Amino acid sequence: MTATSPATPPSISDSLNRLWAKFLPETQRRIALLTAASVSYASGTLTDSQRVEAHQAAHKLAGVLGTFGLPHGTELARRIENEFAAEVVVSAADLAKWIDELQVLVDRRS
Amino acid sequence: MSRRILIIDDEDDIRQVAALSLETVAGWDVIVANSGAQGLLRAAEHQPDAILLDVMMPGMDGPTTFRELRKNPATANIPVLLLTAKVQGPDQRRFADLGVQAVLLKPFDPLTLAAQMEKVLGWS
Repeated sequence: MTATSPATPPSISDSLNRLWAKFLPETQRRIALLTAASVSYASGTLTDSQRVEAHQAAHKLAGVLGTFGLPHGTELARRIENEFAAEVVVSAADLAKWIDELQVLVDRRS
Repeated sequence: MSRRILIIDDEDDIRQVAALSLETVAGWDVIVANSGAQGLLRAAEHQPDAILLDVMMPGMDGPTTFRELRKNPATANIPVLLLTAKVQGPDQRRFADLGVQAVLLKPFDPLTLAAQMEKVLGWS
């Protein structure tokens, strides 16, 4: 597991890593929700409730990933959040790509 | 100087990282609440030096919780810092207009959260 930043003292770094591991299933659940919503969007079957859930999941990820040393994860989650907030997703391909990137970042941190 | 901080956030991960940060880096006492309603009770009971309050919570959201804190004489004067992942300018102006001490952005840096709070609260 990586430290949150090179300057992070070992004691808090270890504790943050433990919290990261503890909440990893929830993080993965949120990404899975985004993936499912993205697939539904691409197939034209995205429901309103699915969009709202995806928007909330992306918002939560944006708020927390940077705290665990993944600022790019926050940036990606914000883009995804904005897409699910809009009436029309700009690009289903971009959306899927950002979610994949997010998954890779999270897997790498784990 | 030791401080007592109340963190009100429905998200377990944010609550625990913020608590870890304030306890480990600053050595402050931290009390937590997982909802606005629980936060109102804890604030009145523990009289914290400041409250870190999440904006988006189910049920009673951050702004509503803040207004309720201000209505109660026992909690009316406790400084409140809003914590939000909403980075858009209009949102931030709306939150600042509520009369909170400051609006802090998520994600926060666990190493500097306490220093950020000290600065906006005039404790440094």
